[in-house]
Amino acid sequence: MLVSSKPSLADSSSLSSRSFISPVQLTGHTSSKGNPSRSSSVTPIHCNLRELRERIDSVKNTQKITEAMKLVAAAKVRRAQEAVVNGRPFSETLVEVLYSINEQLSTEDVDVPLTKVRPVKKVALVVVTGDRGLCGGFNNNIIKKAEKRIAELKNLGLDYTVVSVGKKGNSYFTRRPYIPVDKFLDGTALPTAKEAQAIADDVFSLFISEEVDKVELLYTKFVSLVKSDPVIHTLLPLSPKGEICDINGTCVDAAEDELFRLTTKEGKLTVERDVVRTETVDFSPILQFEQDPVQILDALLPLYLNSQILRALQESLASELAARMSAMSSATDNAVELKKNLSMVYNRRRQAKITGEILEIVAGAEALI
Amino acid sequence: MTLNLCVLTPNRIVWDSEVKEIILSTNSGQIGVLPNHAPIATAVDIGILRIRLTDQWVTMALMGGFARVGSNEITVLVNDAERGSDIDPQEAQQTLEIAEANLRKAEGKRQTIEANLALRRARTRVEAINANAVIS
Repeated sequence: MLVSSKPSLADSSSLSSRSFISPVQLTGHTSSKGNPSRSSSVTPIHCNLRELRERIDSVKNTQKITEAMKLVAAAKVRRAQEAVVNGRPFSETLVEVLYSINEQLSTEDVDVPLTKVRPVKKVALVVVTGDRGLCGGFNNNIIKKAEKRIAELKNLGLDYTVVSVGKKGNSYFTRRPYIPVDKFLDGTALPTAKEAQAIADDVFSLFISEEVDKVELLYTKFVSLVKSDPVIHTLLPLSPKGEICDINGTCVDAAEDELFRLTTKEGKLTVERDVVRTETVDFSPILQFEQDPVQILDALLPLYLNSQILRALQESLASELAARMSAMSSATDNAVELKKNLSMVYNRRRQAKITGEILEIVAGAEALI
Repeated sequence: MTLNLCVLTPNRIVWDSEVKEIILSTNSGQIGVLPNHAPIATAVDIGILRIRLTDQWVTMALMGGFARVGSNEITVLVNDAERGSDIDPQEAQQTLEIAEANLRKAEGKRQTIEANLALRRARTRVEAINANAVIS
């Protein structure tokens, strides 16, 4: 018995060398469409049957987790969308009022602190990132965008400071002390007016105290569930005309800058892609202004600033969740494939072992005769 | 004639129903609005809003914004609105104390602006609670 057990080991290993070829072929197959880093993790299937079984189990568990995360993200996307819908009556009324007041003010020369265009010496960048990882390139993309913008500003010889929103951005900027950060703010699970207010207060005081002359908001714009773009949006100075240039007439806006426009014909003011067509007819023509129109505009613009920031936070959250959803769904797909490959190897190995054992028994029986 | 009040914040609709009368803190002082008020547009300061239902008054802390009155329809757009009865008195008092301390410590133009705003917000919330207590 002892003697026979030895060749059986040798046999199975020689047989398994044949099954070695198949994983290599399989990985060669997957690496052509998947990422090469994963194929390198598949190649070393030198482990024995039990280890293989454990690996299959762990892949199964990971798959369950990623699948659950995907479902959770999907549910949260719906909630984020609801939040946007809840905020709609506010933004619609705001747009309507702003539009009509702007019409009334278009003949006058308005001087509101928030719209004051100064020569730009220092720019504040509000960078909106997520709180958690495992969402593909979401956080990286926005941080890369911020880095690019910082480099651009440096080339223009402008000073800059960063207001970081979200844990991922915070940890990134704390690790890089050479980037001046004005404030770290934490994002939350669901952005509310309070968070937007905190950011608005900060940029408001930065701008009004003339510490900075321009405030830009960097966030991820939600296009669809599979597409989102990091964008730069000028927050301050708010421009009632639409174009933002400094006093010297030089435009320091980023090329793809989305501008705040108060004077569009359809009354569409928000970042929303779905056009909000608000009826402005019910706005009474004999409306009296309790205060100076300028003062009223002064009260309205912070509101607008706030809703703008809130919208950006909501969009950023929606993009983060969407990014997580797609990242997790591809992770699940990968896990399924890996599981398939591993179980194929496992089954081959098991078959080989059985074959080896049968061969041994037959050989042993033949030797006895 | 009935008067309809609608208080909107970026998050939600805080109030959307019929009222008898409201007193609104505007930038140029408090104004009362009764049914059939002339259409006006006004900036709303950080301050309290008093609402009269049939026989009781409700107070609300408003965090600055804008109001429009027209054809028995009042629309108030504010950054944040809280009902006096929903505010935790202890927490509000603490926030007020912190805000006062911050203002004393504030250095430079920017910090003073921030501290002043925070103080006014905190004070309004405490006022809203007190007004609520007096009425009920």
